[in-house]
Order: sequence, then structure tokens, then C-alpha cells
Amino acid sequence: MSDANFSGTGTGTGLVGHGALIERLLRGEFICRVTDEDGWRALKSPAVRERIETYLNQINRTVASAGEGEVFFCGYAQLGEAERKVISSQFKDICQALIPLVEWLVLVQEASGQDAPLTEGAPVRLTELQGRIEETPAFREQLGKLSQYRLFGSTSSNVDAQLKLVFKRLVELGFLTRPNVEKQIYIATGKLDYLYEVIRFIDETEGLNLEAQAETATQRELI
Amino acid sequence: MSSNLHQSGVRLLRMLGRHAETVMDVYLSGAVDEANADAGVLKKLTEAGILWRPEEDGGLRLTRSVRALLEEGLKDERNRQINANVGSALATIKTLADHYKEARSHSDYSAAEAYLADLSEHVYAFTENLRYSIRVLWGRINNEFGYVGTISAKIRENELAQSQVSELLNGLELFQFSELGEIASDIRELRKLLVTTLQETLSDCTQELSVVQARLLELLGRFRQIQGRTRLLKGWLLYTDMHPDYEPMDHVAHRKVPMLFNRAEAMLADAHVDVHNQSQEQELMEMVARIKSISRLDVKPAAKAAETSVVLSAAEDFDIPENPLKQDVEDYFVAVIDSGKRQSALEYLQEKALPWDSESWIYQVIGGFEGLSEEHKSFFELEPLGEPHPVYTGNFIIRDVELWLS
Repeated sequence: MSDANFSGTGTGTGLVGHGALIERLLRGEFICRVTDEDGWRALKSPAVRERIETYLNQINRTVASAGEGEVFFCGYAQLGEAERKVISSQFKDICQALIPLVEWLVLVQEASGQDAPLTEGAPVRLTELQGRIEETPAFREQLGKLSQYRLFGSTSSNVDAQLKLVFKRLVELGFLTRPNVEKQIYIATGKLDYLYEVIRFIDETEGLNLEAQAETATQRELI
Repeated sequence: MSSNLHQSGVRLLRMLGRHAETVMDVYLSGAVDEANADAGVLKKLTEAGILWRPEEDGGLRLTRSVRALLEEGLKDERNRQINANVGSALATIKTLADHYKEARSHSDYSAAEAYLADLSEHVYAFTENLRYSIRVLWGRINNEFGYVGTISAKIRENELAQSQVSELLNGLELFQFSELGEIASDIRELRKLLVTTLQETLSDCTQELSVVQARLLELLGRFRQIQGRTRLLKGWLLYTDMHPDYEPMDHVAHRKVPMLFNRAEAMLADAHVDVHNQSQEQELMEMVARIKSISRLDVKPAAKAAETSVVLSAAEDFDIPENPLKQDVEDYFVAVIDSGKRQSALEYLQEKALPWDSESWIYQVIGGFEGLSEEHKSFFELEPLGEPHPVYTGNFIIRDVELWLS
């Protein structure tokens, strides 16, 4: 049956080699340059994407993208009752994760003294970050607070344990990857860019004016 | 006269060379540290026009021309400046062309030649300057204004660069080739200089500048995006701080769900043990019973996370029971450590009356030694005892091995 489908697309062996990519998509992973460069390149190519799309459509799935087309994930082609339920629960999950994740992003940005928040491909050196956090009571406090969110669920009062748990969870959730298990260097993935897009979407649709508020607040601080 | 000029030029360059340290110190720090410098040297440098004092009570600084020479020579990105003043260059070029034409018409050929040389110098200097400015702009774009630290500073630098590009482009518009053509009329040298050379350079530069402009705008967009993201995050924290009960609206309840939130449920999950399946309980219990932790180091079990229940997730959680032969080899290693003496493996085997075949015993000892981590291996020395094969050279027959602490 599936053989007939394959030859029906007229590509024959077209999907061979992309099996792993389709699997990753179906497993709910985000495909970006950092997590899977080959897959990302394949999805960037219109011809390959078309073939994968045709395949996914047969099981009511579609390739969705975010972050100006730099991140891909799998969505539903048609939304029925069951699919809506799934999306609804995914949405709730991401909304609950927003505050802890944003607090973490701000902490990393401030502790590493960077101008730009983490974005796909940016490295985080855990030991350096830990050093800075341990030196500064305000950062320690922020870390202590955010590590207790349900998303991270730390019960420890020690910076090292808190930080390791937070990073471990972020790797599990797909926001960070750790290319070399021997080293404490983490790389931000495209899923973070997806997160920014979610916040921006909420900001724009609900008219929260987050950027303007942040700007006036900083100006007030300056005065 | 020309030999005079030559001599004074050489003298100037020598002076620069002799006081290179001082000059570079000034270049890097901006002004002379007069307390630590030789007043005589400073005086000489000032007289030669290498140093000058812009303000009565200010410090001594490098003159613009020396500074420019160093910037160019060192390709020093930090200090490069763009000269966008096209208008005055144009006026000079026109004036010189007029001088040249007048001298020619008066048949004053030596003056005409001098004017032409001057004019060529100006035209070439102008085009070089233009190309240089563009190179500087590319340099800044390529390192994304890396010489300033903050995003806001980068945005300001970018805006400055954009205004310089517009200025350059406006300046280039001042060149009317019909006008230059008229000035050059039918004089071959002038036509070559003013029409051919200039026109080619200017059209190249105009094109390149528009590319530069596009790249600058693109970069600015990126900087703004980064700045926007920072603000977005801070704004989010502020907002949720001020509205603790805030929850995002249900954006997926609409008939048309935004693509962003249309994420399919994972279809392929990793294999996991189903702890709720009672029919597998027996096997699971057996597996759990077989799990054991091996701890040779005296490490206190890390305060057992009592609240985490047993999760059987991956295959590496399970361990195969140890091979008794391997265990005995380990004991042998421990015995060597305890005694601190050289110990033959076969003797040990006989002493302890272990049930193993001597060959497999030696094999296992060698295997056990090779299997140690590099760090642990360095504590031991293993020497094979035996003889070379009587017939087949290159083969060594091991009869026994000896192990000792290195």
C-alpha cells in the first residue's frame, strides 16, 4: 500500500535519506541549523520540502516554520476535534513555560553582560555563567527563584545543582543542545527563536506594548 | 630645489624612524605624556610638524597627516575616517583644469605640464579617497561595527555610516559629466583624466555605495531586532510583575489557529517500560533485582533523592552480573596494591588455588590491565614473561606475566 503511495508521487526513491528527518519531525522536534543542519538544509530546499510535505499530508501532518523560516516543526494539516485538543494543551504548556524561560533568558543575558539575548547558535559556557552568578547575590536570588518553577522543579538551594538542573531541563525541552558531553558548553537552538515569536505574537495580538513599556522603564531608571 | 626637497624629506622620515616609539605612544594614547618625555625631542617633533598643540593648555598630539599615514599603513579600523567632502575636491579639479587650459593657450608648456601633474594628482587622490571610504564602510559592515560594544552604540554607528553614504552619494551627484566634458573639450589628456578615469570610477563607486547602503539598512534591521528582543523579554517580565494574574488569551480557540501554535503531537516516542502493565510486573521485578551499583571509590551515596521514584528509562540503567573470573583478576590487582610487591600472575593463581585455566587467567589479567582507564593504568606496570617463538620470528610466547606498582 505504502509502495503504491511512494510511486504515486512520482519520486520513487525521493524520500530515501530523509527518513530520519521525517522521524524527527514526527517526534515533535524542532529542526534548525544547530540541531540538525542536514535536515534543516533539506527543508530549506523547496523540492525536498515539497516531497516531505506530500508524505506528511497523508497522515494529516504538515511542515510548519517559524523564526523567518529558519526553524521547522510538524503541525496538523487539518484540525479536527482531537487535534484541537492537542494544540490547546501544547499552547497551555508553552504559556506556562513562558515566565520561567523569559526569566532564565534575562538572567543569562545579564549575568554574561551581553547586549543581545540568546538566539540560535549562541554558545553558553556553563562554568563561566556559574562563576558570575555565584559572585552576584542578585543573580543567585534570580536563579533560586526561577529554578523552583514547575518547569525546572529544583528543590536544591545550591547554585551548582540549580543551574545544572535548569540546563538539563532546557536540553530536554529542546531549547539548548550540548554538542560535546565532555564539555559544559551549550548552544541555543532555533526553538528559542520560536519562543520569541510566540511572545511577539501574544504581544501584538493582545496589544500589550511590551517593548514600549520596557523602554519607558529603562528611561526612568536612567533618570 | 628638488635635491633640497629630497634631503628634507629623508630627514623627516629619519626623524619619524628615530622617534618611532614616541610617535606610536602618542598615536595609541592620543596625547604625549610630557612628564616622561624628553623636552628636546618633543620640540624637534613639533618643529617638524609631526606633533602639534591644538589648545594652549592642552596636550601635544599627532598632526592629522601623520595620523592618517599611520591609520592607512596599519589598517587601523578604529580611527579611520571618511572624507565625504566631494564638493571642494570638485572645485579644485575644475580650477586646475582651467589653469591648465589657460597655460596651454598661452603656450606656457612648462606651467601647463605642472598644472596637469597637479590635476592628475588631485583626480587620483580623489578617486583613491573615494574607494578608500568605501573600503572603510565595508570594513565596518563586515565586522558589524565590532569596535563598539553595545547594540545602541552599533545602531548609532550604523546611522552615522548611513548619513556618510548619503553624503557621498549626494556629492557624487555634483559631478556633471557634460560639464566636465565641456571643460575637457578636445584636449586628449584632460578628456582621459576628467571623462574616462573619473566616469568609470564614479559609476563603480555609485553602484558599490548603493550596495553598501542596502547592507547597512539590513544590519540596522538586525540590530533593531536584537534590541527589540531584549525589550520584549524585559517588557514581558515587567508586565507579568505588574499583572500577576495575567494569562495569555486562548489564541488557539479561534476557528483559524495561527500556524505558530499548530504543533502536532509527537507520534514517535522513545521506547519506555510500561510500569502500569501488570502482566510485565514479574519481569520488571527481576530486572530491578538485578540492578546493582558498583562503587569502588569510597563515595557516600549522593543524598538519595528520596522523592524520585524508580524510573526505568534506558538500557544503561541495567547491568550484567559480573564475571567471577574478572572478579578474581580484580582481587589480584588489589593484592598487588596491598603488598606493593611484584607478583607473578601464575604464582598468584596457584597460591589462591583458583579454579581457572592458566591460559585464560593470563589472558584475563592482560585484558584487565588493558581495560583500565589511562589514569589507573599509569599506576601499574605489567611485564610479559616468555620467549620468542623458535621458528617464526616476531612472535612472542607469553608464559606468565608480572604485575607491580609503578
